[in-house]
Amino acid sequence: MDPLVEKISRCIERGKVNLASPYPKDLKGQEGADELTRQALAASVGPAPILQACNDGMQRIGAKFGRGEAFVPELLMAAKAMHAVMAQLKPFFQAGTVKPKGQFVLGTVAGDLHDIGKNLVSMVVAGNGWEVIDLGVDVKPAKFLDSIRSHPGCIVGLSALLTTTMGNMAETVHAIKAQFPGTTVLVGGAPLSKEAAEKMGADGYAPDPQGAAAFLDQLRPAA
Amino acid sequence: MTDAQWATLLQTIKGEVSHPLPVGFIIDCPWLPNWYGTKILDYFSNDELWLQANLKALREFPEALFLPGFWSEYGMCTEPSAFGVRCNFPANEFPHAHKLIRSSDDIDALIVPDPRTDGLLPFVLNRLKLAQPQIEAAGHKIRFAVARGPLNIASYLMGTTEFLTTMMMEPEKAELLLRKITDFLKSWLQLQRETFPSIDGIFMLDDIIGFMGEDEFRTFGLPIFQELYDQDVSVRFLHNDAPCKTCAPFLPEMGVNLFNMGFDITLNELKALTQNRVTLVGNIPPRDVLASQDEAGVIRTTRALLDSLPDKSRVIFSCGGGMPPGVSSANIRAFIRTVQAG
Repeated sequence: MDPLVEKISRCIERGKVNLASPYPKDLKGQEGADELTRQALAASVGPAPILQACNDGMQRIGAKFGRGEAFVPELLMAAKAMHAVMAQLKPFFQAGTVKPKGQFVLGTVAGDLHDIGKNLVSMVVAGNGWEVIDLGVDVKPAKFLDSIRSHPGCIVGLSALLTTTMGNMAETVHAIKAQFPGTTVLVGGAPLSKEAAEKMGADGYAPDPQGAAAFLDQLRPAA
Repeated sequence: MTDAQWATLLQTIKGEVSHPLPVGFIIDCPWLPNWYGTKILDYFSNDELWLQANLKALREFPEALFLPGFWSEYGMCTEPSAFGVRCNFPANEFPHAHKLIRSSDDIDALIVPDPRTDGLLPFVLNRLKLAQPQIEAAGHKIRFAVARGPLNIASYLMGTTEFLTTMMMEPEKAELLLRKITDFLKSWLQLQRETFPSIDGIFMLDDIIGFMGEDEFRTFGLPIFQELYDQDVSVRFLHNDAPCKTCAPFLPEMGVNLFNMGFDITLNELKALTQNRVTLVGNIPPRDVLASQDEAGVIRTTRALLDSLPDKSRVIFSCGGGMPPGVSSANIRAFIRTVQAG
């Protein structure tokens, strides 16, 4: 592996965004994902290995998170580092040089303004090579339907934190299935269980961000 | 809580095992209004309804310790409102506080609120003050000063994602925000204690500590909780129903002697993590058992919980987290009966 690419992957895993970032403490004053990506592109390293480095780094930190060896702030920092890379890869995505695994429309359901679970899923799934269309919080069913219309073939993720908004989640699942029966819907959030997800007619339930990424990859394995 | 109930709580915290075994629940707006037959908004806006709902719960379940008891609150909006956040109050859903801090630079200008006058806090206190004669006529006293915890408030003011990343990227800004919130909380808790001399406990709720690793917890959590719990009161109660394996070993150091956890950890695990120095309030699953199962299911799970505990000291039997929406009286009675049968 190109040493720069390897360093980028390590920066993603450690959440080292850029030179100015004081996190992590032991890498303070060192270049981060942002500078290293710039250097890699200038050295004619293609976007594909850089993207793979992002995926590898996110998978490693995601696995640590799943084992309870890393925590939410570390995952958020990894995602922030990944975003710094993605910002520089954007032109390659737009030109079609690199392709995402698929499109994932994601939002917290109507009546629920909590974003941490959704954001974590968004970051891990994006880091895993998917294009995430983040609709935000308090998303009404109509907005999900509009987005599905605009992104044919997408997979939909619904998040909720409040027990009281599980009803709204079920309504959203029903609305999607009524209009787009072929659309796969993944649900997750603190008040949910696998049984509750099945009961509301969702195709999948993810207890954590890694579960969401694994579910998506199972549907569309990487080429 | 009555004097007898308070004595039971203190005895349990000291390590004595009561007979029958003690049962307690955190009850507030997710459960109480709908259980009483009213909408959440009515519960918040009608002091008499709030009082009657609380009194009915006491009458229906006299065996249970209600924690904190007569909780005057406006859900997650209570403390953030004092900072000036926009609050949503849907008719029958939980209220929600919107973000106030858009960038870390806003933290410098954030004013430390005055709990005597700011946001919903005067309403919180005045509701309790007006209800105090009836509460005491029912044989109860106001026992706890209550507040959302500092990290929880920071997350409401800033957004959880933004606050946690600020903690890592701009630690000095996160510390400044937490300093301002902690100063506010100290004055808010103190005001409650001054208003109600019967208060002998502090109850804080903070599930953001559950998201942190040990390094972040030691830096951003432990010192301010130590400061906030450093009060001359008998009960220092913390609720964190997010993951708690990181913070649990520190609970005694934080000053906490009563802890309500999430349902995803066993009492035995927590006893080991806290060296049985903290009284635990739990631990059957609130939603999947207490709210969703029938009486037989509640009895079965409760029985299994009791059988799993070789040492029943320092436990208030409850659910992991507060009482969730939709728990029936029958299920609560089944739980109480089973625990009290030992």
